[in-house]
Amino acid sequence: MAREVSESCVDSLLTEMVSTYCNRFYANKPDLAARSIEAIGYQVGHQLSERYTMDRPRFSDHLEAIKFICKDFWSELFKKQIDNLKTNHRGTFVLQDSQFRWLSRVSVDLSENGDVSQDNPEATAENKAAQVTSMHLYFPCGIIRGALSNLGIPCAVSADISNLPACELLALFAN
Amino acid sequence: MIVCVAVVGHQNNPLYIQSFTDADDALKLHHIVHCSLDVVDERVNNPKKSGPTLNETFLGLLYPTENYKVYGYLTNTKVKFILVTTDLDVRDADVRNFFRRFHAAYVDAVSNPFHVPGKKITSKTFAETVSTIVKSFGLSSAG
Amino acid sequence: MANFLAQFQTIKNSCDHLVIAVEDVSDLWPTIKNGFEERFPLKRAYLNNKTRNPVPVDNLPAVLILTTDARLRSRFPHEQYLFWFREPYATIVLITCEDLDEFKTILKPRLKLIVQNDEREWFIVFVSKAHPNNDQATKMAKKVYARLEVDFSSKKRERCCKFDLHRPEANFWEDLESKIVECIRNTLDKRVQFYEDEIRKLSEQRFMPESLAFMFEMAHLHEDALCEYDELELCYLETVNITGKQRDFGGVEHGDDQATLLNPGKKPLTQIVQDDSFREFEFRQYVFACQSRLLFKLNRPFEVASRGFSFIISFSKALTMHENILPFSMREIWVISACMDLIDATASNYNEGLAPLDIEKEFYRLQGDLYSLCRVKFLRLAYLIGYGTNMERSPVNSASLSMLPWPKPAVWPSVPPDASSKVLAKEKLILQETPAIKHFGIQRKPLPLEPSLLLREANRRRASLSAGNMLEISGSDAMSKMFPSHKAQTNSMTRTNSSPGLDSSIDRPMRLAEIYVAAEYALHSTISNPELWKSFSSVEEFEQKYLELTKGAADNYHRSWWKRHGVVLDGEIAAVYFKNGNFDLAAKSYEKVCALYAGEGWQDLLAEVLPNLAECQKILNDQAGYLSSCVRLLSLDKGLFLTKERQAFQSEVVRLAHSEMKQPVPLDVSSLITFSGNPGPPIELCDGDPGTLYVTVWSGFPDDITLDSLSLTLMATFQADEGVKALRSSTAIVLKPGRNTITLDLPPQKPGSYVLGVLTGQIGHLSFRSHSFSKGGPADSDDFMSYEKPTRPILKVFKSRPLVDLATAVSSALLINESQWVGIIVRPLNYSLKGAVLHIDTGPGLGIEESHVIEMESYADLTNGSTETVTNGALENGSSTVNKDFEQLTLHDGRIEFPDWASNMTSILWIPVRAISDKLARGSSSATPQRTNIVDGMRTVALKLEFGISHNQTFERHVYFLTLAVHFTDPFHVSTRVADKCHDGTLLLQVILHSEVKAALTIHDAWLDLQDGFVHADRGDGRPTSGFFPLVISPASKAGILFSIRLGKTDAEDASNVLESDSILNVRYGISGNRSVGAHPPVSTKHSATEDAKQDLVFQSALVLQRPVLDPCLAVGFLPLPSSGLRVGQLVTMKWRVERLKDFENEVPQHHDEVLYEVYANTDNWMIAGRKRGHVSLSAKQGSRIEISILCVPLVAGYVRPPQLGLPDVVEANISCNPPGPHLICVLPPALSSSFCIPLMMSASSSVFLRHSMRLAILALLSQTIEMQHGKYWRLICVKLVRLRFIRFLNQNVSGKQHL
Repeated sequence: MAREVSESCVDSLLTEMVSTYCNRFYANKPDLAARSIEAIGYQVGHQLSERYTMDRPRFSDHLEAIKFICKDFWSELFKKQIDNLKTNHRGTFVLQDSQFRWLSRVSVDLSENGDVSQDNPEATAENKAAQVTSMHLYFPCGIIRGALSNLGIPCAVSADISNLPACELLALFAN
Repeated sequence: MIVCVAVVGHQNNPLYIQSFTDADDALKLHHIVHCSLDVVDERVNNPKKSGPTLNETFLGLLYPTENYKVYGYLTNTKVKFILVTTDLDVRDADVRNFFRRFHAAYVDAVSNPFHVPGKKITSKTFAETVSTIVKSFGLSSAG
Repeated sequence: MANFLAQFQTIKNSCDHLVIAVEDVSDLWPTIKNGFEERFPLKRAYLNNKTRNPVPVDNLPAVLILTTDARLRSRFPHEQYLFWFREPYATIVLITCEDLDEFKTILKPRLKLIVQNDEREWFIVFVSKAHPNNDQATKMAKKVYARLEVDFSSKKRERCCKFDLHRPEANFWEDLESKIVECIRNTLDKRVQFYEDEIRKLSEQRFMPESLAFMFEMAHLHEDALCEYDELELCYLETVNITGKQRDFGGVEHGDDQATLLNPGKKPLTQIVQDDSFREFEFRQYVFACQSRLLFKLNRPFEVASRGFSFIISFSKALTMHENILPFSMREIWVISACMDLIDATASNYNEGLAPLDIEKEFYRLQGDLYSLCRVKFLRLAYLIGYGTNMERSPVNSASLSMLPWPKPAVWPSVPPDASSKVLAKEKLILQETPAIKHFGIQRKPLPLEPSLLLREANRRRASLSAGNMLEISGSDAMSKMFPSHKAQTNSMTRTNSSPGLDSSIDRPMRLAEIYVAAEYALHSTISNPELWKSFSSVEEFEQKYLELTKGAADNYHRSWWKRHGVVLDGEIAAVYFKNGNFDLAAKSYEKVCALYAGEGWQDLLAEVLPNLAECQKILNDQAGYLSSCVRLLSLDKGLFLTKERQAFQSEVVRLAHSEMKQPVPLDVSSLITFSGNPGPPIELCDGDPGTLYVTVWSGFPDDITLDSLSLTLMATFQADEGVKALRSSTAIVLKPGRNTITLDLPPQKPGSYVLGVLTGQIGHLSFRSHSFSKGGPADSDDFMSYEKPTRPILKVFKSRPLVDLATAVSSALLINESQWVGIIVRPLNYSLKGAVLHIDTGPGLGIEESHVIEMESYADLTNGSTETVTNGALENGSSTVNKDFEQLTLHDGRIEFPDWASNMTSILWIPVRAISDKLARGSSSATPQRTNIVDGMRTVALKLEFGISHNQTFERHVYFLTLAVHFTDPFHVSTRVADKCHDGTLLLQVILHSEVKAALTIHDAWLDLQDGFVHADRGDGRPTSGFFPLVISPASKAGILFSIRLGKTDAEDASNVLESDSILNVRYGISGNRSVGAHPPVSTKHSATEDAKQDLVFQSALVLQRPVLDPCLAVGFLPLPSSGLRVGQLVTMKWRVERLKDFENEVPQHHDEVLYEVYANTDNWMIAGRKRGHVSLSAKQGSRIEISILCVPLVAGYVRPPQLGLPDVVEANISCNPPGPHLICVLPPALSSSFCIPLMMSASSSVFLRHSMRLAILALLSQTIEMQHGKYWRLICVKLVRLRFIRFLNQNVSGKQHL
């Protein structure tokens, strides 16, 4: 019943969406672009969570939901589970994916990562690349936020890509 | 026979109500569905009452009345499905089966990108699927 | 065994205490009876329950009965095991004895005899009557008791205890009680054991369990009793299913309709049970009754309720099964009574707060369920007897009733005899019955209350009767039932004129009224409870009962947190209130219901209730509520009401809005009228710009609606203090249903970006507001994301900017005294100058040539030389030119209207002006260096430009003021120098002409009119010696002309008046200039380009030729100042010496010995005392001299010009200054001491002087400091003060001054 698409399609769709929003719709308003992309992700996550939680008992608490996100949801999306889940038990969860699939093919030159400061053009290039990459992260963030909020956990999700292609997603609950 | 099926959103707002009675008394079914939410709330709020079926999506029989039965189903996303039937000997298995199929149909409906979450489900396909499911209700047990 | 049943129940009912037998051997009982009996009931006993576990039992009651008592005698041993529970549980043997032998011989054998029967539990109480101080007796008693113990007590069981009549030991009673309890326990265990064996033996023996249960109950082991009863019920249920055991169901006797759930003793068991088979009807109730009694004893009313509810449900099923044998609608009635009983009993036994919360909730829920079940049945019955019209056809009632089947009696009751009047009454009722008209003329198909048509149902059941199974009931009484009633039918039929042929036939279908009546009769026969029947007797009674039940259900549901159930039932109550005209209560409840439905978005249900609420509010004249209800009705889903109905709502709103309202009602129509800025980028305006705002307004009204006024607030996004601005369109606006676009005039706003705020407006007297941004009405695709979006700014206002720019076209000077074009460049900065008006006001010395037209042309084509533009402008003057970028305008009293074509383009305006200066240009000579003064060439043109965009109402008026400075000048500046002096006294006078204009000047001719004292050297025409005319002077260059002149013969008189006149240089020249650059040929009245070109102008300039001064006659010398430098505020005396160098005997005689002097001083820096101007006498003799001294005070520190002495009468040429006065002198700031007053002290020693001078000094000092702090202005004030005081002081002591 489940029809499948090749992964490359998803990748190129993502890049296409990001570029469309960043360069065409909201050319010089990155925050607006980000918001829209995030919103799309939100809706997608909303619906995916609806589907993937279909035949499983209800979650009794937040942690279960998070675990679901980390295990099943993630592997539905990325064919792998989250590598590491940290929490401070006060509503903050850090999801680490050492090989974030959607960024695994982003070609950011990471050699200069150490000595960014040495010469400015390099550094700026770095920043540019980082910005572009972070643009690609709003979508997954939105997905997670959508999924969680649909599971009754309103939260804010942010991502950190200090060392690609590893990716840290930070989920903050409103409790 | 099934007289009514309903989808109720997580804010207890009706997303889809379809009654299968020939007389146009849909309103009373609305009422029944709406009131059944009381029971759902109760089940959810103090789970120790629902006992073994804790956290199970199928809530079982909500209402034992003389004349009709109300079954409930609560998804992970706090969406309720309500089933009102007038035949008094219904097998649990049938109801479970019904709800499973219904849930599938629902998920397909809300996965439609043009469906706005939290708004009423207006998709025709969904309606058709539901009606087929309802028609086939109990037949599976018979056959 | 059934023949024991009667006994069984009587016994069971009679004895409710454990029995303890007392074997009174030696007649002690009367003496100790009281002492013993007050020990009961036993405080606490430990008994073994069925599973042999000790359970505490409190207050175990028991009775002490003598074995000689009748109650214990007359027992047949064979029935013993059946009624064992009433057998003694213990036997107390009372003995006393003083003598040992007597004990041995008489008592002991007797005791042996008593206690030999083993299944009795016994023990002996030895009572000693011995008085304590009778040692003999006590000793003896001890001895006997010891003996007794030896004989009867064993190791394992202590069977004796000793009771001292006079002085009982403390522990005796405990001992006694424990013994008793022990006995009871043992007996109980034995018997339970026995029963169980029995049950095992004959399992169908049904009465063992009960008697066992009862025994437990007596022993207060309620738990076990309950278990027993449950077991009993179980094995009952399995036996019913065994065929052959069943007997008639029962429940046919009178009074059976009342449930006996709670009193088991309602009926004698004999009826229930006959030889080992039972009547289900009674027996199940009986068992339940026993259970509930136990449960109450266990204080578990909750369980009673829950068991009771399910019992009722299941039992009513059973009733339905046997419905055909039961009386008419027995089931409903039974359920009703059962519910009511249960409710009352449980409620009375339940005390709040003890149970845990969820149990409590559950309990109330059960109560609610019971109530509503009862309510439903009640309604059904009421419907049967024709109260259906009084029932609200609400979803609730429909849901509960329409799925509840009709009663199915074997035969539908038929109309009893002599019921005609009743039938008539019912008929009337039915005829009067009008379908409940809903408010707003809403038409709905009423919800069904009946599972099927009652008429058909009833008649079918009768038809079945007539179909042939008449035999079941005796035909005769069937007839007797039919015929009298048919009399009634006929006359009723004739009224409802149907064919009278039908009457005779038996199975003529009954009419509704008849059905009602029949049902009523039948019910009456069934219902045995007068209370219940009463509540069917009349509509009022019915409603009261109905209300009671509904309220009960609602309240309990509320308590059980089933708010939906509760609130909905509240709605039902409200309906009744409404019917009874109790509107405000109704409104309150309806509001609750509406709130519930609205809160969760159940619009269909809301649409059912909301009109009722609205109606209430209307009746209560609660306009605000009514309006908001109407609005809510309108904002419900369109599909829920017909357009007609929605129009009705709207018309209500409008009607009320235009009617007189007590107080203006603010109405929130956010759900109905929504608005949003137009898609796309926000409007961008500048500060001061007006604009137009387009707003999309969605109207949810079914019809067009007229908004008498509408205003929309703009909110600045960042600065909050920047308040909201309201844009209002005063004109009425008609909103179509759906999307509207309205335009609002934007008055100029402050800089910032704005979002839409609140929409307010007026419909009639009704002021509404809406603060909901429409997501574009119907949900557009990104509606879902839209809550992510920030509210979009719809207006951006930038910093203010100039809207127009006016400037002079020419920078360089124009010709003075000639009519010249002044160009004014008008540059609109993308702001329309449509209909602009320019006011021109020329300053002094400047006039506009009224005779000339004003030319206006676009600035663009001025880049290529403007001359031909001028010319062709000149050619086709007045006539409006073809190309719109040139036009000739005329000046009306200083105003010029701009042509339209110039409204948006940069244009230049040429205005012919003439600067008049009457004074002659003065040349400068090398001797007297000229001071060129720009100012007197300056003229100003004040411009006032009025422009702006006029709207339908307001005229956004901008006024732009500008004062242009136009520089006019002479074509030349003339300077002269004596080029050479020849020996023959001829002077070569060189006249240098500096061109002052940016135009080529052509000198055609020049001549010099000499003043007296000078004559032309050669020929007298005054032409220059070297005349190379025409002489062209390019802009800003010079040219020189030579004149040769000589001094004329001088004599005294012309020496005297030589000083007055001066000589004039005349230059005839032409100018060729460009008006866009500067000076140009003057505008001429006659427009011919050629003449313009060679038009000659004449320029005159005055030259001063001075004879060399030979003899100064006066000398002015400045006498040195005191060496101690000057200080501010310090008095100094300035002295000048005037000396006559040569005498003037040959001068005009008057005031020959007087010299007029004047002292010039800058009053800011100096204060002069004494006379500034005056005559001093100076004798005409040569060498006579005089000193002029002035008292003055320096006011400021620093280098200042000292006062100067001047002699106005004497031409300065005749004055030689030596020694000359200093240019600047240094004044020191005041010393901070009174020391600087010392010179004053010397000068005058009057205290006044001192005081004044002190104050003066202080003020001066003050002025200094103030100068440092505040600006010059303050200083001036102080200076004024100082001067004032000083002058006053001087006037006071002039005399003192004379003394100096």
